[in-house]
Amino acid sequence: MKRSLSIVLAAALATVAVPALAKNVINVAIVGEPDTLDPMVSTKDVVSIVTQHVVETLYTFDGEWNVAPLLAKDLPKISDDGKTYEIALRDGVSFSDGSKLDSADVVASLERWLKIASRGKTVADKVESVTAKGPLAVEIKMKSPYAPLLSLLAFSNSAAAIYPSEIVPEGDGQIDKVVGTGPYEYGEHVPDQYLQLVPFKGFVPRDEPANGSAGKRGQVPDEIRFIPVPDANTRVEGLVSGQFDFADSLPAESYDRIEKSDKAKPVLLENFGWPVWAINHKAGLLTDKKIREALLAALPFDDMLFAAFGDDKFFKVDGALYPEGWAWHSEEGTKAYNQNDPEKAGELLKEAGYDGTPLRILTSRQYEFHYKMAEVAKQALEAAGFKVQMDVVDWATLGQRRNDPALWDVYITHSPFLPEPALTDMWFPSSRIGWSEPKKDETVDAFVSETDPEKRQALFAKMQAEEYDDVGFIKVGNFNALTGEAKTLQGVTPSPWPHFWDAAKK
Amino acid sequence: MLSSVADPAPAMLKYVLNRLVGMVVVLFLVLTITFVIVRVAPGDPAALMLGPDATPQDAAQLRAELGLDQPILVQFGKFLLSAVQGDLGQSLFFRRPVLSVLAERAEPTTFLALFSLIFSIAIAVPIGIFVAYRRGGLADQGAVSTAMLAASVPSFWTGLVLQRWLATGLGWFPASGYGGPSSTFLDRMGYLILPSIVLGIVNSALILRFTRASMLDVLGEDYIRTARSKGMSEARVVLKHALKNAAIPIVTVVGLTFALLVSGAVVTERVFNIPGMGSLVVGAVLRRDYPIIQGTLIVVAALYILINLLVDLLYLLIDKRVRY
Repeated sequence: MKRSLSIVLAAALATVAVPALAKNVINVAIVGEPDTLDPMVSTKDVVSIVTQHVVETLYTFDGEWNVAPLLAKDLPKISDDGKTYEIALRDGVSFSDGSKLDSADVVASLERWLKIASRGKTVADKVESVTAKGPLAVEIKMKSPYAPLLSLLAFSNSAAAIYPSEIVPEGDGQIDKVVGTGPYEYGEHVPDQYLQLVPFKGFVPRDEPANGSAGKRGQVPDEIRFIPVPDANTRVEGLVSGQFDFADSLPAESYDRIEKSDKAKPVLLENFGWPVWAINHKAGLLTDKKIREALLAALPFDDMLFAAFGDDKFFKVDGALYPEGWAWHSEEGTKAYNQNDPEKAGELLKEAGYDGTPLRILTSRQYEFHYKMAEVAKQALEAAGFKVQMDVVDWATLGQRRNDPALWDVYITHSPFLPEPALTDMWFPSSRIGWSEPKKDETVDAFVSETDPEKRQALFAKMQAEEYDDVGFIKVGNFNALTGEAKTLQGVTPSPWPHFWDAAKK
Repeated sequence: MLSSVADPAPAMLKYVLNRLVGMVVVLFLVLTITFVIVRVAPGDPAALMLGPDATPQDAAQLRAELGLDQPILVQFGKFLLSAVQGDLGQSLFFRRPVLSVLAERAEPTTFLALFSLIFSIAIAVPIGIFVAYRRGGLADQGAVSTAMLAASVPSFWTGLVLQRWLATGLGWFPASGYGGPSSTFLDRMGYLILPSIVLGIVNSALILRFTRASMLDVLGEDYIRTARSKGMSEARVVLKHALKNAAIPIVTVVGLTFALLVSGAVVTERVFNIPGMGSLVVGAVLRRDYPIIQGTLIVVAALYILINLLVDLLYLLIDKRVRY
């Protein structure tokens, strides 16, 4: 009896003296349920944010948006004619199903990417072959030089994800159970409630220090839990109450509330992206260049941005297609930006023989800032002599209608600043807006074929000037994205696609 | 339908069977109307699933894979054939059977409905009885005005205010969600308390007003005066004789409220991020997940009819004079 009592006491003391180590769980509120766990088949940011922890690509981007190796051992050897890429793979990398990475996996995955991924398909007709050149070597042969290839292979969105060849389906099929080489693997998943990521025990990190998404990827949290929270206010309340460690995509008006909180702080990602007016070059009013010029002359970008974001903390009136600090930044052609000149616009309309046909602006309130800037623009355009028809629909309807050129003249969207300009499809005549102009097309062709970085920068500056000259699409300005994180959180670098493998709570 | 039938059992059975046959007709109509409406509405589920940078060609290919490129009559025929076999199809978004997705949502929605109803009844019925008894007094005027206010304020506003005050401010409740991987049943129920209070406040207004009105009708009846003249205590007169006879309208409104709650407290589920039927159907509409919209509406319609039938049958227990 005495002995058993002492055992009980000892056990009780041990429990008090050695408390169980608290699990480091990072709760991340995201904007909705990811449509898929296979990043190859979706271009949605929420899919990229989640899946990048599990699935990896041959290359990725460092903190300065330079392409860096990930599953590839180094950057590829590119032949002098720019058409052959020799890619050496890292040795000893495992997938979470236990199989080892080899060239057969890479070939099968890239072939699928070229066949089914939206971004893969844009380059498919330029690829001659993808071949295994040994167990850990792959060769990509291009029909002509194509400089954006590495950026495409590095992008986590419509990603050239590498899967074990055994799970890569024939044809257009879906992958039933996604496995990858990343630091985490999928745990429990209850749709619309949570998606749990747990460390992949066989993960082999790179040796270089962490830099952006490149270098060593940690496995710091014991668990990353992505929680879909479609309502922005609910994300804010969850963050401020301490329920979430990180909340993505928060409304600008919540900045002060988060700043005053004792548990959370606002994180502003400067120059996150750019709202853009996509112009219909296939049909309708804006196939006339003079009317496009009138549109550009009439728009008051500063007022539109102020109406959309309410505080200059959240936007910058900037006509350059890439902000200062980016290698692609240039001021070429930007004199045509923010003219806010209704008289000039009216003159241009007269020259064009404008007959009062309504300018159809297709927009949605899914992103309130799209709608607000359209409302301001409408007043300015009407003052210049345009007749304006606002078609305000839900996002699903907008997604459908914009595929029919007969239904719109302008639709409003936005994009993050992408690391490679050629990832913006509006430059190409094959895109939805159908912008084709001989001089610009020639410059774009030269840009995608050129491999020298300095020459590419010069060509891009020329593209920008030609874009303003022909009014291919309309950049409204730069906007900052607001996210929020717990004051105890560290190790998360602000990014359009934030990752949490190095996240820890103080 | 009140009648005086000598042998009530077969008549009641016939009544129930008639209602069930009627239910099949209603469900067919719901199914047809829903099918047509969701397809006539603009919006492309394939484009939404693929993301903003997908090309029209990609969207067309996915539409073909999902069978959405077929003529609407062919789609309807296939859907009808599956539905009569108990298969409501596959969710376009979740890529799983609709019934399995709905089954997952049943727990939060059912318990949210139940808790909020209990909360509403616990507040509204006693107050309704009391203020009817004290008709015209200060308490009566106060209760009626408060009920009007509670019914007029949108539930999202009540939800936001209570969320900010009781969850974010005081930390008494979780701000949102329905638990994580290690949550037990009790943990999950904890997430429903605050939303139940919000819904309870909104619904208690209606129940309170019905209880009060019904009690006022009954308290003026001759048999109440007779009971009092017999020297019965006021508590016995009100709670036994009056309440029993006032119960049918109260049970009706409680039943209808429960049916509405089970069909999904859309706004409250959204504010508190509860993965129930309400948030499912909102998400499905935004994603144009046709099978989920159809499946949810059919299940909700069936539940609505069944709950109404149950309420009708409950009258038999409350009042022995009721016959079908």
